[in-house]
Amino acid sequence: MPIPRRTILRATGTALALPFLPSLSWRRFAAAAAPATPPKRMVFLSFGWGVTNETWFPDKTKTGADYPLSDGLAPLERHKNKITVIQGLSNKFAADAHWGSTFYLTGANRYALPGSSFSNSISADQVAAEQFGRHTRFTSLQLTSKDADQSGHGPGLSLAWNRQGKPIAGVDTPLAAYQKLFGDETLPLADRERMLKEQRSVLDAVLAQAKAIDKTLSKRDKDKLDEYFQSIREIETRLAKEESWMTTPKPKPPLDAPGESLVGEEEVRLMYDLLVAAFQTDSTRVVTYRQPMANLIKSMGITVAPHDMSHYTPGERMAASQRRDKKQSELLASLLDRLEAVKEADGSSLLDNVCLAYGSNIRSIHYLDNCPTVIAGGGAGISHGRHVVLEAKQTPLANLWLTLLQGVGIEIDTFGDSTGPLGTLTA
Amino acid sequence: MKYRPLPAIVVIFAPVISALATDTTPAPPSQPPLDHRFLAAHCLKCHAEGVEDAAVRLDDLPAAITTVEAAERWQKVLNVLNSGEMPAEDEPQPEAAAKTEFLATLSQALATARRTIGDQGRIATLRRLNRREYKNTLRVWLDIDIDVSSLPDDKGGGPFDTIGSSLFMSSDQFEQYLALGRKAAGTAVARWREAGGAPPPRQTIRTEVEVAARRKVAGVLNGYFLGGYRMARAWQAAGADPAKAKDFGLPDDVEAKFRIRQYEIHGPYLGQFLAAPKSDEGAWLMWARGHYDTETITIPADAPPGDYLLRLRIAGNDKVPASRRFLEMGIPKSADDFALLQVFQITGSLGRPETLEIPVTITADGPRSFAFREKRHADPTAVGFASNMANVTNGVGLDFSMWIDWVEWQGPVPDPEMASRSLDLFGVSFPEEGDATTARGILAHFATQAFRGVQPQADYLDGLVGVFEGQRAAGKSFPEAIIEPLAVILASPAFLYLNEPLSPPAGDPAAAAADSDRSLSDLELAARLSYFLWAAPPDAELIAAAANGSLRTPATLAQQTERLIADPRSFELAKGFTHQWLSIDRLDFFRFDSQLHPDFDEPTREAAKHEVYHTFHTLLNDNLDARSLLKSDFVVVNGLLATYYELQDVTDPAKPKPIIGSAFRKVPVPAGSPRGGLVGMAAILGMGSNGERTSPVERGAWVLRKLLNDPPPDAPPNVPQLSRLDSQKISTRERLRMHQEEPQCAQCHRVIDPIGFGLENFDASGKWRTEEHAYRMGWVLEVGERKVHGKVVAASFPIDPAGAFYNGPSFKDYFELRDRIAARGDDFLRGLIENLYAYALGRPVSFADADTIDALVAQAKADGGRLAAIIQAIVATPEFQTK
Repeated sequence: MPIPRRTILRATGTALALPFLPSLSWRRFAAAAAPATPPKRMVFLSFGWGVTNETWFPDKTKTGADYPLSDGLAPLERHKNKITVIQGLSNKFAADAHWGSTFYLTGANRYALPGSSFSNSISADQVAAEQFGRHTRFTSLQLTSKDADQSGHGPGLSLAWNRQGKPIAGVDTPLAAYQKLFGDETLPLADRERMLKEQRSVLDAVLAQAKAIDKTLSKRDKDKLDEYFQSIREIETRLAKEESWMTTPKPKPPLDAPGESLVGEEEVRLMYDLLVAAFQTDSTRVVTYRQPMANLIKSMGITVAPHDMSHYTPGERMAASQRRDKKQSELLASLLDRLEAVKEADGSSLLDNVCLAYGSNIRSIHYLDNCPTVIAGGGAGISHGRHVVLEAKQTPLANLWLTLLQGVGIEIDTFGDSTGPLGTLTA
Repeated sequence: MKYRPLPAIVVIFAPVISALATDTTPAPPSQPPLDHRFLAAHCLKCHAEGVEDAAVRLDDLPAAITTVEAAERWQKVLNVLNSGEMPAEDEPQPEAAAKTEFLATLSQALATARRTIGDQGRIATLRRLNRREYKNTLRVWLDIDIDVSSLPDDKGGGPFDTIGSSLFMSSDQFEQYLALGRKAAGTAVARWREAGGAPPPRQTIRTEVEVAARRKVAGVLNGYFLGGYRMARAWQAAGADPAKAKDFGLPDDVEAKFRIRQYEIHGPYLGQFLAAPKSDEGAWLMWARGHYDTETITIPADAPPGDYLLRLRIAGNDKVPASRRFLEMGIPKSADDFALLQVFQITGSLGRPETLEIPVTITADGPRSFAFREKRHADPTAVGFASNMANVTNGVGLDFSMWIDWVEWQGPVPDPEMASRSLDLFGVSFPEEGDATTARGILAHFATQAFRGVQPQADYLDGLVGVFEGQRAAGKSFPEAIIEPLAVILASPAFLYLNEPLSPPAGDPAAAAADSDRSLSDLELAARLSYFLWAAPPDAELIAAAANGSLRTPATLAQQTERLIADPRSFELAKGFTHQWLSIDRLDFFRFDSQLHPDFDEPTREAAKHEVYHTFHTLLNDNLDARSLLKSDFVVVNGLLATYYELQDVTDPAKPKPIIGSAFRKVPVPAGSPRGGLVGMAAILGMGSNGERTSPVERGAWVLRKLLNDPPPDAPPNVPQLSRLDSQKISTRERLRMHQEEPQCAQCHRVIDPIGFGLENFDASGKWRTEEHAYRMGWVLEVGERKVHGKVVAASFPIDPAGAFYNGPSFKDYFELRDRIAARGDDFLRGLIENLYAYALGRPVSFADADTIDALVAQAKADGGRLAAIIQAIVATPEFQTK
C-alpha cells in the first residue's frame, strides 16, 4: 500500500525533503526489545518576554564551578551541580523585540528570502527528531499554550519548525497532550485498519485535486501549494507509522488524566509531568515546550499585563518580573526532580539520558543579546555544575544547538548559522 | 440609492491602463544617502583593511543597501551604535547631534532597504481562505456558525490576513479542516433530513424569576446572616466568654464576631433586596456577587438543535445613573470567566417594563446556557470595590439598577427556508437511501458551490465516491455515509484556496490572454470581489453576472461593487480591514485597571472597537470623505458609547435628545466636543496606554504610522532602557523628557513624542482630563490630601498639550493638533489607499505599483476622498482584475 502512494506524491513534482522510511523498518524498530543502553532524549523549553536582567544572571565575574546562583535561579540550588548557566549567546539576525520563540531554535534570518518579509528554517529539535523519531510512536512532541499570543513568543505554532521552515503545530492543553500520548484505543484492530484505509482514501481524493491544480500554477503558487502537499505527506507518513504501530498498544499512562481547565502554574506542572511520562514510556524522544506566560503570572495573582511586566521599572512591575523568574526556576527544579526520580533499565536516571535546554530569544525588555540559557541533563555529555561566560560576546545560539545535537549523537557538522561547537562545555 | 456609480472611472483610469500596458516598472524609492564621513570619522580607524580589528571591516560597506548581505552588515553598525557598544569607550565619541542624525538616516535607509529587498513584485501568491473568511464562508453559504478557534488565526506574518504569501498550511491544520468540515456537513445533513420531515414540537417555557431569587436571598439572610447574627448576639449578651461560644452553637469567638460583622455589612443589602418595590412580582438584579447578580436562561439538553428565542421582561431604575442601566449577556464559563455576547440598554421603567427578545442558535455541541447581569468589568475586584465604596457611603450597598419580571425561552422556531436552502445545497430533496450514482450527483452539486462555481473534475469525484463507498462498507446509512465526502470537499484545495491558475480554466473566454499577467476569469473576478468586500463567497447574483460574462464590463462591475457595498455583509470589510490596518488588536493586550477606569469595562471596550468599524462602514455606505476619519463633525455611536462620551443627539441643538439603543448611528457632535475623528475615539486612545497610564509614545507612533503615512522605524532591540526617573512623582511628559537626552532615543522620539503629548488631555481610557495624577500607596489621607478613584493623590500636574511637529508646525492644544493632522489629508489618503489595495489584492504593495497608487490617490483627491469611490477605483484597476 505505501509504495504506490509514494509514487503519487512523487508525481506531484514537489520537492520533498523529509527522509522517507519504509514502514517495514518501523515495524522492526517497534518490535525490537528494549535497548540495552537507554536512549538519548532532548527537551527544549522556551519562555517569552525574557527575564529580569538585574537578578536572573549570575555574577559575570564569578565563573566556573565555584559561583553563587543568582536570586532568580536560586530555586535551582539543589540541582546546581547538574546544570550549566551560559552567558554570551545570541541569534545574530534577531531584530524583533517581541519574538522570544520564533527563531529561538532556528537562528534564521527573517529577511533571508528576497521577495518575502518572513522566512524561517528547521529548528534544532526537528533535526534530532529526524533521527530519534524513527524509534518511537511520536516522532516528536510539541507542547504550547493557549495564551501564546500574549506571552511574547512571536509567530509560530510551537517552538518547532520543519525542514521547509514552516511552523509545526503544538498541543496546547495538558488534557490534549494526555489524550495524544495515552488516549486509549477502544476500537478493535479490524476497525482501526478500516479507518486507516478510509483516511487514506480521503487523502487520495484531495491529492487528486491538488495534483490537477498544481499543473496549472506558476512557480510561486506551486511553492505555496507545496505546503498543502507537505501537509498531506506528513499525514501519510504518520499513517504509515500508525500502521506499523497498530498492533502495539499505547502504553499505560503513568499518571491520571489532567483536568480540563488548568491554566498557569498548574498547567506548566502538568505539561512537565506529561513530558516526563512521554520519555518514561518511550512514546517520543524529542519534546519542545513553548510555555505560557500571561496565564502563569495570572495564576500567581500578578495583575500587571505580561508585556508591561517585561518593561519593568523598579516597583510593582519589577517585583512581578522577579517573582515570575523565581516561579519558573522553581518549576524547572521540580521538572529536574522528576527526571531524576525516574529510573532507566540500566539503573541510571532519566535525567542522565536527557539533554535539556531552557531559555528565550529575549534577554530582558527589548534586549536580544545574551539570551538567558540554562542547560541540564547527562544526555549530551556536558560537564555540568558551571557558570560559563563565553569570551565572544555574540556567540551564535546555533553553536549551542550544534554542541547539544552532536552530544546526543546526531552526526552533523553545522546547524543554522553555527560557527562550530562550544568545546568549553564538554571540556 | 446612497451614492451613484461613477461612469467617470473608466475615463479617468485610461492613463493607468496604458501605464500598465507599456510595462514601465518604476525604480524602488531611493534610500536616504548614508553619511560616510561619520563612518570615516568614528569607525574606520579600527575597522578597515589592514588595521587592528579588521575582522569587522567597514571601509568596504556598500553605499546603497540592495542585498540581504549588505542589509545585515549595516544592521550591525546600527545595532552597536544603538546599544552604545561602539565607538569603544576609550575612543573619541561622536557629537550627540551628529550621532542622532546618522542614526535617523541609517534607520530609515534600512527600513527602506528591507522593503526593497522584500518586494515581491506585482504577483499575488495563491491565497488560502484565512480563518475569518473560512468561518464567514460557512456562515454565509451553509448558514452554519462554527467555532474555528482550533485553526491558527493567520495574523502572524503580514500586515493583513489576506496576504497569500503569509498564509501557511500544516498537517494539523488540514486535519482541523476535516474535523470542522465533518461538523458543518453533519449539521447541514441533519437540517436537510429535518426539512423533509415533520417539524419538532415548539415549546415555550416561562420562569418567574422572583421565586428562586427570593428563596435564595431570604434563605441566606435569615439562615446564615440573621440566624448567625442572633446566635452571636445572644453569646455576646451573655458576657461574650470565648469558652462559651460552643454553648450558643458557634464554633468559637472569632466566628461569632465574624457573623456579627457579616450581618452588619451584608444584611442590609439582602434586606433591601427583599423589601424593594415589586420584589414580590419580579426580582432586582444585585450588583454584589453570589446571591442574585445573574439570571440564567438554559435550554435543556433534550430540546433539539435549532433557532430559539429568549425573552426577558425587564425594567430599569431611573434613579441610578444611565451608565448602569445596561444588561450584558454572555456564556458563563466559570465564576470569573464570562464570555460576553452582547449588551442591551434598558429603557423600560417599573411602570412600563420592556420585553427583550433575543434570537439564539442552539447547536449539537454548543452552549445552552445564557447569563444576564448588569454590565461590569470582568475583574471581580472591581465589583467588590464598587460595593464597598457604596457601603461606606450609605451603609447598604449599590442601588439596584434593573428589575426582571420573568424570563422565557421558545423554540425551536421553524425555519421556513430550510427546505429550499437544503435543496439549493444538495440539488435533491433528502434521500433516505441511495447508491453511488445518487451520491455522486449530490457531491458534484455541493462541490461546485464550494469551489465558487467551478465544477469538480471526474477523477476527484471518483475519489469522493470512493470515500462514500468506504463509509457504506463500514455499515453506515446513506445520510451518515455522505457526511465524510462532504467534509473532504471542505478540506480540498479548490475550496480552501482562491485558486487563480496560471492558465485560466479550459473553456474560459479569457483563455486567449493566458500569460503571467493574465486577466482573471469571470468567476475568479467574482470571488476576488466578494472576498474583498464581504470576506465571503459570491452570492447567486454575482455568480450569474460572472456566468453571463457581464461582470467584466466596467458598468456591471461598478454596479455589482455598489450592490455588494450596500449589502450588510460589507461590514466584514469595515471590521476586518480597519481592525488590522489600525492595529486594534492592541486594545486587547492588557486589562484596564478597574479602579482607575471603572467605566471602561469589557462591554464598553467592545463598543469602542465597534465605533471604529461602524464609522468606517458608515463612510463606506454613505460614500463620505475618508478624511473625516481625521476630523469630523459627527460620530457613529450607540447608546452605550454615547453614555460613555456623555454625548446627546444635537441634530436639533435647541432640543438635545438622548442616544439610546445598541445600534450604531451617525449623530452630529456638539460644538467644542473633542470627539469626531479617530484621535478622539476611546479605542484608539485606549490602545495608546497600558490600561493604567497613557503612553504618548504609542499614541504618537500610531498617528505617524496610521494617519500621517510616515511610519517611524520599528522599536529597535538592545537600546538601553531609561529608567532613571521612573520612581519619581513627575508628569508623564516630564518623564519622557529623557528621550531627548541620548542620540539613540532622540533620533525617533523627537518625532514621535510631541504628537503623543498633544493627546495627553485624554486619559488611558479616552476620557477627557485637564490634569493627571500620581498616586501613592495606602488608604489613609494626610492633611491636605485627596482621593481620586479611591486612590490617594500624591501629586497632580496640569496637562500641557502644546508642542510642534518635528520640523513642522506647532499646536497649542489638542484641537489644534487635530487640525494639523486633518491638514495632512493627502498623506492620509495615500496610506489608506495603499493599505486597502494590499488588503484587496492579497499582496503587499510593490514599488512597481507606484503609478497605480499615484493615480488612485489623484483620483481620490479629485473625487472628494469619498470612500466608496476609492473602493470602486481600486476594483477598476487592471491590477485588481489581473492574476
